Order: sequence, then C-alpha cells, then structure tokens
Amino acid sequence: MISATQQKIADELDVRARKYLRGDGANLETLRDKKLKGQLVNREKLYGQSAKAAAKAEKWLLPSDEGYLEPEGLEKTWMIKQESIVREVDISSFRKPFDMILPDLGPYKLEYTPSGRYMVMGGRKGHLAMIDMLNMNLIKEFQVRETVRDVVFLQNEQFFAVAQKKYPYIYNWRGTEIHCLKEHGAALKLQFLDKHFLLASVNKSAQLHYQDVSTGVIVANYRTGLGRTDVMQVNPYNAVIGLGHSAGKVTMWKPTSAKPLVTMLCHFGPVTDIAFHKGGHLMATTGMDHKIKLWDIRKFGLLHSYTAHAQMLDFSQKGMLALGNKSHVHIWRDSGNQDYKQYMSHEMVKGYQLAKVCFRPYEDVLGIGHSMGLSSIIVPGAGEPNFDSWVANPYETKKQRREKEVHALIDKLQPETIMLEPTKIGTLKPRRTKANPTKKEIQEEMESAIDAAKNITFKKKTKGRNKPSKRTKKKEEGVFKAKRPFLEQKTEERPFKRQKKEEVELPKALQRFSRKKAQ
Amino acid sequence: MTGKNTKQKPKGTKKGGRDKKKRHGPRLPSAVRKELEHLNADPNLEQSELEKDEFGEDVYEYDEETPEEETRKNRRYDSVDNYEYELPKEFEDEDVPSEDEELDSEPSEKSDDDQENSRHPRMLEDITGLPSMAFDGQQKKQIVVTDFQGDLNGKKISIHDLLDPLQQEPGYKNLRKKLHKIETKPMTVQVPLPKEEREKLERKVAYYHTRKDMTKWEPLVKRNREAPTLHFDADVNLGFSTVGSIASEFEPRTEFEKKMALLVHDPEIVDAYNKDGVRLLELNKINIEDVKEHQHRLAKMRSLLFNHEMKSKRIKKIKSKTYHRILKKERLKAASAMEMDPEVAKENARKQEFKRAEERMTLKHKNRSKWAQRILKRGLDIQDEGTRSAITEQLHQHALLTRKMNSIEDNSDDDDNSTDDNDNDDSDELLSEKGKKNVSKLLNKAKESTLKALEDASELPKSGVFALPFMERGLKKQQDAVEEEARMALDEYDASLRQHEKGHDIKNPKSAKVSGRKVFGPLKDKLQKPHKRRNTFNDDHNSDSEGGSDTIDRADVDEEVNNPAQNANLGPASDDDSENVTHSIFKSFDDIVKEPGPKTTFEVAIFASDCWKKINGENVVDAGSTKAAAIQNSQMLMHLPEPEDMDQDSDGDSEEKMVDGFLSSSPKRDYELPSQADLIHQAFAGDDVEAEFEKYKLEHLNEECPEPEKPELIPGWGQWTDIQQKRGMPSWMINEHKNAKRKREEALKKRKDASLKNVIISENVDKKAEKLLAKTLPFPYTSEEVYEQSIRMPIGPDFNPAITAGTLNRPTVVKKPGVIIKPIQYEEVDPNDDPDQPRRIVQKPKAQPKANKDNSARGKLKKMASTKKKIKP
Repeated sequence: MISATQQKIADELDVRARKYLRGDGANLETLRDKKLKGQLVNREKLYGQSAKAAAKAEKWLLPSDEGYLEPEGLEKTWMIKQESIVREVDISSFRKPFDMILPDLGPYKLEYTPSGRYMVMGGRKGHLAMIDMLNMNLIKEFQVRETVRDVVFLQNEQFFAVAQKKYPYIYNWRGTEIHCLKEHGAALKLQFLDKHFLLASVNKSAQLHYQDVSTGVIVANYRTGLGRTDVMQVNPYNAVIGLGHSAGKVTMWKPTSAKPLVTMLCHFGPVTDIAFHKGGHLMATTGMDHKIKLWDIRKFGLLHSYTAHAQMLDFSQKGMLALGNKSHVHIWRDSGNQDYKQYMSHEMVKGYQLAKVCFRPYEDVLGIGHSMGLSSIIVPGAGEPNFDSWVANPYETKKQRREKEVHALIDKLQPETIMLEPTKIGTLKPRRTKANPTKKEIQEEMESAIDAAKNITFKKKTKGRNKPSKRTKKKEEGVFKAKRPFLEQKTEERPFKRQKKEEVELPKALQRFSRKKAQ
Repeated sequence: MTGKNTKQKPKGTKKGGRDKKKRHGPRLPSAVRKELEHLNADPNLEQSELEKDEFGEDVYEYDEETPEEETRKNRRYDSVDNYEYELPKEFEDEDVPSEDEELDSEPSEKSDDDQENSRHPRMLEDITGLPSMAFDGQQKKQIVVTDFQGDLNGKKISIHDLLDPLQQEPGYKNLRKKLHKIETKPMTVQVPLPKEEREKLERKVAYYHTRKDMTKWEPLVKRNREAPTLHFDADVNLGFSTVGSIASEFEPRTEFEKKMALLVHDPEIVDAYNKDGVRLLELNKINIEDVKEHQHRLAKMRSLLFNHEMKSKRIKKIKSKTYHRILKKERLKAASAMEMDPEVAKENARKQEFKRAEERMTLKHKNRSKWAQRILKRGLDIQDEGTRSAITEQLHQHALLTRKMNSIEDNSDDDDNSTDDNDNDDSDELLSEKGKKNVSKLLNKAKESTLKALEDASELPKSGVFALPFMERGLKKQQDAVEEEARMALDEYDASLRQHEKGHDIKNPKSAKVSGRKVFGPLKDKLQKPHKRRNTFNDDHNSDSEGGSDTIDRADVDEEVNNPAQNANLGPASDDDSENVTHSIFKSFDDIVKEPGPKTTFEVAIFASDCWKKINGENVVDAGSTKAAAIQNSQMLMHLPEPEDMDQDSDGDSEEKMVDGFLSSSPKRDYELPSQADLIHQAFAGDDVEAEFEKYKLEHLNEECPEPEKPELIPGWGQWTDIQQKRGMPSWMINEHKNAKRKREEALKKRKDASLKNVIISENVDKKAEKLLAKTLPFPYTSEEVYEQSIRMPIGPDFNPAITAGTLNRPTVVKKPGVIIKPIQYEEVDPNDDPDQPRRIVQKPKAQPKANKDNSARGKLKKMASTKKKIKP
C-alpha cells in the first residue's frame, strides 16, 4: 500500500514533471503502424523518466527557494521600507543595496550580464563604467565625452556596446574601443540577442538594424516607418524584438522579415516602455495614457489593464514587474492568474529622475539608474535563487568563460530561427493557402528548386570522394531530389483523369461489341 | 579374354582370377603383395582363397583352355555382372535352414536316381548335341519336384508347412512370432501413390517442418526488432588467462598427450629433475642399437617407397591401353574387396553414383556412339555374334547404370543378407557336389586348408612395413577375426560331415519341398538354362579339379536361391517402405491437428492473461486514485472560491489604495499641471488612434490580400453605336469579380487576426525560415499531430538528466569496430523480458556445442562402423 504522504509526494512530483514534459504526448492509439507505435511508446516512457528525474532534481537538489515579503495582519508589503528589510537580511544581502551618487554625468543607464555578476553603466554625458557586483570592484571607468544613450553587454563581460551620439561603439572590458558600428547610425536603444550573437539597434530615423557580432555582417536593416522611438525590448523566449511607437503601436520584428510580424495597438498615447516575461507569453506595456497593460502574446489578447503611470518597466526572473516613474519605483507581483498587484515601492530622493530600472539576475536586487547616479534596492523573491552553472555562472572562472564562449559560438542560432513560435521548427510546413497552383507556378517553383540544387557548393572532401565524377553524381542526385516532389505531384493527379475516361459510355449500337465486365 | 571370363565367375573364382592377373599385372614385391592380401583379407574370402591356393596352378592352366562358348562369342543372353543377389532382411531366417536341408539332401537323392536318369540325359544329348552335364541341373530339379508333389497331396503349401520342420532350429521362435504378427494383422499392400501426389505430400511435410523451424525464430526476431538498441559485443573471456592457470587445467586427451604426460609425470624423471641434472642426463641416454635399428627402419621404408615410386613411374609409361584397362579393373576389384571399410564404401558409392549420373546425362551406352549407330544402320541381324554381343553388353551396361538405386537402408540390409548368403555358400558349395564321396573329400580338404591357413596366419611377417607397431596391431586384429571365422567354418565342416555320414535319406523330402517350387512355369526353366549349360562346360573341363566346378556350382545354387527370394521380397519391401512414408506423413498431420501450437505459446497465453489481470487491477487502482484525486479537486474547488473572493476584495482595496499611494506618494511639487491642450489631446487621442489603426490595418490587409479590381470595359467595347442600349458588363466578368471578392473575404476571415481588432499579424511566408520546416511528413509517420508531438521534447544532454540522455540518443545498433556480427543463434525467449531494454548479443568466438556434436556424430559413426565390422564376419 502506498501511504498518503508517499502519494502526496508522487503527486507533487507529477506536477513538477509536467513542466518538463513540455506538453502531452500524442494519442498513439490512432496509429496503425505498430513499429512506430512501439518506438514512440518507448520514447514517451523515456521522456517520462527524464521529466521525473528532472522534477526530482528540482525538488531535492536545488539549494534554496525564493522568499517573499509576508505581511502579518493588516501589514502591507509595500509599506515596508528598504531600511527595515536591510536590517533583517544576512550580511551578504546586506551589502547589496547601495546608493552611488554621481551627480555630474547623469542620468545613468545600466545593464547586467546574464549571470548578474557584472554591471555596465553609462551616464548620459559620456561616463562609462563596469563594475564587478560580487565584490563591488570597479573594473574600468572611462569617459567618452559624448552622449551615451544606451549600454549593453555582448556575449560576456568582455565586451559591451554603447550607443553614443553618432554611432554605437563596442568596447572591451579594458575600455578599448573595438568597433564603431557606423551602419547603425545614431542608435537610441541597443539590444543583444545572446543565442544568435546579434546586436539589434533602433536609430533616430526609426531604422532597425541587426548585426551579427561574431561575423560582423549586418543581417538586416529595416525601416519601421512608425516614427522615432527608443522603446525596444527583446523577448527572451523567442528573440523577437518588440518596438514601442508613438502612435501607441507595438511592433514585433525578426531579422528575416521586412514587415513587422505583429502590429498591435496597445495604447492610446505613445508607448513608453515594453517588458517581456521570461516565459515568453507575457508582455507588459506602458504608455503615456496612464495605463499599464499586460498582454498574452500567444494570442495577442489583453490580459489586464491597470491605470498607473510608468516610464520604464522590467520583468524579473521570477516574474516581478518593476515600474519606474520619475523618482518612484514600484514593484508588482503576480497574485495568481497573471493579475499583478503592488508588492513593493521605493522612493528615490526627491528630484531624482529615473532613467532605467533593471533586475539583477540571480539576485533579489533591483538596479536603478537615475540622474544622480545609481541605486540598488532589495526586492525579496525577485531573482532566481538557484543558478545553473551551465547556463549562467556568477562565479565563472576565466577558463569556464572561454569555454562557454566557444560553446556559445558553436551553438549559435541562425537569424532565421527567430520566429514567434520557435517550437514550430522542424514541424511540417503549413499547406499552401492557394488550393491549386497553376501549372506555370509549379514549373517556376520546380525550376527554382532545381537551380538551388545546382548551385549548392560542396565541401572539399578527402581523396576518393572529391572526384569530379562523384561531385557531378552528387549534384545530379540533388537535382533529382529537388525535382521529385513535383513529379510525384503530377503522378498523383493522373488517376482522376483516368477515372473520367472510364465513365465514358459507348453509344448503344456499339455497346454489344464492348467486352463484358466480369461479374 | 580373361577379363570377361572372370566377370562371369562368382566370387570365389573372382579371387582366383585376380591371382591369375597378378601374373600379368605389375609385379609387386612379394612382401608388399602379402601385406596387401592381409589388409584386404575378407574373412569370407579367406577360406576360399585358401582353397584356391591349393589348386591355383590348375586354374591358371584351365583358364588357358576356355572354350569358345565361354568367351561370349556365342552368348545368347546378356551377361550378368553380379550373381550375388541381395536379399532383404526377412529372407534369411525363413530360407536359410531349408536351404541347408535341401542342399544336404541333394547329393544323396541324386545317387539314388542316378541309374534311372542316365538314359534321359543321353537322349537329350543326342537331340541337342550338348554334353549331358548341361541337363543335370534340370534333372535334379525335376526329381525334387516330383518328390515334393507327392508329399503335398494336392494341398496348397502354407507357410506353416514350411515352418514345421524348423521347430528345433534356434531362430524358430522369432520366426513364429513374426508369422503370428503377420497373420493377426493382415496388411493389404496398397498401390503406391502416384508420383505427383507423393511429391506433393513430401512438399507438404517439408513445408510444415520448415514452417515450424521458422516460427521457432519468430519471437527471437521480434524481440530483436523491438529492442531499442542492439549491442553486438565481442565475447570477452574473463576466465583465467595466466599460463600457469591454463597449464594446471590441462588434461591429456589424445594418445600422444597421454604418452607425453606419462613421460613427464614419470616419478623417476620428476625425481631426477627435482634433485639434480646429472641423473636427467643419464636417463636421457639412448641405446646405440636402438638408434641403428631406427635408422635401418627408416632406410628400409625409404627404399620401399623409392621402389614403389619407380615402379609406378614405369607403369605409368606403359602405353598399352589394354594393360591399363586390366590394371584398372584389378584396382576396382581390390576396392570392392575393401568395401568393408565404410569410408571406402562411401567413396565407391559416390563414384558409382557419379557414373550413374554421367550415364544418365550422356547416354553413352545407349547406342549413340558412331560405331553403334553404324552397326544399327546396317542392321543388327547381319552382324556377327561378337558385335551383337558387344552391343547387348553396352545396352546392359546402360541399364545397369541407369537403374534406380535402392535406398541406403536397403543396401545395408542387403549387405547383411549377402554376407549370410556367403556363409551359406560355404556350406552350399560342398553339398552341391554330385557324389557324396566328393562331398566328404571336399569337406576334409576344406578343413585341412582352414587349419593350414590358421597356422599361416599365426606367423606374422617380421620385416618390412608390417614390422611397424601399428601395422602389427592391425594385422593382429585382422588375424583374430580370421581365426574366429576359420574356427567357425571348421565347426560347420565338422557338422556337415557328420550329417553327411549319418545319412541323407531322412532329409530328402524336406529339401525336395523347397527346391520343388521352381519346377512350375516355363519361365524359370529358361532362366536356369544358361547356368546349367555353363555347369556342364565347367564340369567337362574341370573333371579333375573339383575346386573349379565347385565354385561354379555354388554360383548356380546361389542364383537359384537368391532369384526367387529377391523377386518375392523386393516388391513388398518397397511397398512397405512407401507405406511407411505415407504413414509417417499422416502421423505428422495428426500431430499437427492434435497440437495446435507449441507449449511456449500456451505459456505466453497464460502470462498474457495474468498480465491482463494485473493491468485490470492497476486500472482499478488507478481509477480509485483518480477518483480520489477528483474528490480532492472538488474539495479544493469548494475551498477556493472564498479566497478568490477575498482576493478580489483585497484587489479592489489595494488598487484603490495603490492609486491613493500614487497620489499621495507623488509630491505636488513634482507634478506640473499639463496644459489644457495637452489634456484635451490626451483625452481625445484614443479615438483618433484607433481609427488610424483601423485604416492602417486595412491598408495592410489590402497589401497582403489585394482587393480584386473592379471590372471595367474599355470605352467602345460591347456597343456598336451610342444608339444601341448599353448592356452593361458581361456576366462572366461580374461573376469573376464576385468570386474574387468572396474569396478575399474568406481569406480575411481565416486570418489569425480576423477577430483581433487591434492586432495585425503578418501572414507573409518567410522563405528563409521555411527551410527549418519539414516539407513532407518523415517516413514512418502518417499523422502530422503525432509527428509534431514526437519532436516536442529536446533529446540533447543539455535538457535531459544523464540517466536518460544516453538512452534517448543511443543508436539502434551499437558495435565496436572489429566485432564481426555472427548470424543469429537460436535461444529461448523469455516472455517476461522487457522489450524496451537494450539487448546485448554476444558474438561467441566459435559455436562450441556444434563442434562437439560433430565430434560425437563422428564418434557414433566410428562406433557403428566398428560394430558393423564385428557383425560382418
């Protein structure tokens, strides 16, 4: 007999495992192919094992759980001030909140590395600095004496890109200028797609640029045509870039499409900021119309609309939403059913103008860039408590960093893999919308396919396989392969015609000469 | 001349003929010849050979004088190669004793009727011009028959009548039993099935068996197919591998190894080895004489070999065809003598079979040669006797070669019979003499000769190849066998002598009974004629040498005995066989009917039912659990609403408060009152924006899915004059336009953003991204849904724990380089096995059990051979 506790544990594990199963398996009962069925059943079993193991590991091996502020009685969490929090936390957390007063070169933009270890900050008037947040070491600090509009880390802390007055520049951690990206123009906002090694920027003339930082190739350059904007955010789930425009529109872009994938009317006034949830299906927008809206970007429907004013938004790893408005910071938290409620609030010193709010990954810390320098506050339960050193390791050694960089380069995704539904990769191509393509179209398609097959350049192979004869043979094979689906289509069509022929009836006078069908 | 002659002679004379040949053929040194004789010594022949030794010279001379009739020039009938008819097993018991009796009685009866019949042969002689001896046989038979008829009293002879006199004989009981069996269970011999039907049945059986064989493999193959991974591992022997461990396990098996072990473990040597080396040296000393002897022996062997080689070279050089033919025949004969050896017999059988096949292929002896065809063209009647006989000989050869062979079992039976016959022959030959004096004389002579042979045999050759130890042993064995045989023969002689002396009168009728049968029917007479004639010839020429006539007579008698027996037995035996075959077939079919499936399947069924039950049980449990869960859920649901309500309440509160907070938190100093224009703009901005967006969306839709152009006629078209009434657009144009419009609407409805007012989702196909999608459904899949579900899980090591990452990505076949994949080997499949487990298939280095089987089989064969050898003499 299974005891109640065991049952409970099993149920909990099942719930956890469901996350790792990534949806249910197909209904295999409908399959008629026994072999395939057997294979798939076996596969499903393995998936189940894998998910269960992952769930178990998650349950028993992850060191810590996130905690939240828990009010007692009539207490409200947003009434709790930073001072009272700081008094209660442990020493390591005690050091995290700070205020850095840099009055001259303000307002500051800031950015953390994905591991949360390093922070780069850029003052509007040209002050750039990189800080190791673990030991609060200033790695490099320099002045570019130019307007700095945005800063962003590239693949690791070694490089960062800065959107300056005329062009974006790439600096290394020593502050050496590595590149000047003139094609981007006067970029207002920068984003880096770390899986694709793409640096995206939107410039003054509302042009969206994608540049591959590993090869240096400009992958795409599109005119948004919707006016100047500095609202740009990348969706971490599918690397689609969202742009907020002045007409209240939000557009989503990918590097292989000149037109926005989605255009939504989100606000009645200009959009001031966008933030994407890590899970990829939640978007928060804020506009000048005193609204904060939450969108489900799977079906592009509005989830919630709140009346509040915010100039900047950011989602934390655990899904908290930070809103910055002038000198106030509010943090909202999901109270279930994606309904966000206020969780914390923080007041800057009067007169400080916020420029950026940014959650620090793997830490319960919110970094705030403002006109008088930097601030950092504690937001309990904001960050992911357990880091995965294979994904992002705050305590990375030099060797690990190098290795990871190489791995990342090897695993680099091509720009065309960016799409709204990345799970669709590998699935069957949707059928053509047109019912029957004309003969000419088919012919054209076939020709293009053949041309593509002919133009394939082969790798240089070893001795025997590099013979011209082999190459031509391979090419011929490729052409044949390209041709085949079209030819098969033709053969499929034929039987219909034949049927028609059979139906033709002989005139009555001749019928007696026709061969009788066997009964 | 001699080749043909000897061919006609029965076995005994054959040997004599061979002796004669020796003089013509290559002259082997006497030592070698002797050895050969010893090697080939057939116990049956031994005695006859010994006999021959006595009057070998005479035979030689006699042979020189063979009459014309013997040389085939005037032969009327096909020559028969083989006089030894092979009898089936059943035959021996019934006939042997009676034969004895008959033969025992024959001489005596002859002596009685001698005077009576003396006139008749004379008359015959006058009429036919043939010597009187030619009719002797017939007379004998006739006389016997009359006697027999008198005894019968007009009744039919039953088997019981034949059996009665045998009551005292040792094998009688067995015979009775057999007879009883036959009587109680009368079997009607059915007509053998037609060939087609028989073959069909055979095929059926073969199919059944092969199917059985194949189905045996099914679960094994199924298991291998279902296994997600097959590992082909090399058989790694993890046993002891040190030299010491191997040496300690060594056990001497072969003769040589045993000898070596004996030497190695000799306590003396071991002792010496342990103590000191000097003693070892002493032990190692070799006697000079031994060495010399060894050298001598080697030299002798070498010289023998050399001589033999030289001789064979010389013989090879001889170009005479006849010589080689004779040589070949001789060799064949020698081979036939060696037939006792199963290996040789097999070889011979193979050769014979090959010849037969060749004959059937080429039809060489069916008058197809140029010579034969020319003769046939000219007419066979004009040809002289020699040619005709040659042609008939050829045809006979063909018939012999193309005749259907008996099965192997029959052959073995026949062999046994033939040996028995030979045994009988030994006694027959004595009894077939005319006079009883002769008989006693002959018996005595035989006795003497056997004794002499025994003495001779005891003297082993002390030199040459036969001096070698293993040869000596072999010879000794042979000699033992020969001695035994000789002793038996001696006993037999004694017994027959005694019988002979006691008197023959008593046994006369019995013998008459047996041989009497042959009188009836003219056919038999005809058959016997040639033999008789030959008899007379032989007698004429061999008046002084009894041996020769003896043997010929024996042959005659043999024939008489064997002919009917074979005729009688061959038919039923074959019928029986066929019936047996059919029986077995029916049996097997019955078996099939009775046993619907092998036991394993039954077990599987049981297991399956168990499993089913188990599953059922589980289902019940599951259902229970799900129910419980459902209950829990419902409870949860019951509980939930309240907090939600609370939440909502609190939400409302909080929002208000939050707004309050905003209001309160934002200091008034910070807040700049927006201008009126701004406020208005903000207030009314929404409407404007929405309308703008709608416009924008429409534009976008038009771009992606353009509106069909309104049909327009070019001015002047569709009207002759302005007087003519305008008919408007042609209907097809209007229809087309309508259709296009409808299509567009449908397309717009189908769009994802059709129901989303404020969203435009681009439907443009990204051609670059298209290459990441599957053009067609990959092979084994037939359903898109299943395919897409199957690829939803990443299988890489980044996304899976180590325990499953390996199994998820394991190839279907795992094999190390260099491992040879052996053909599948049968093994029992455990139905309890998990089919999803990866399967390990160990590639054994060698199929050991098979080899053992072979060995054992060979051992059995050897055993059988040895038993045969034992039985035969």
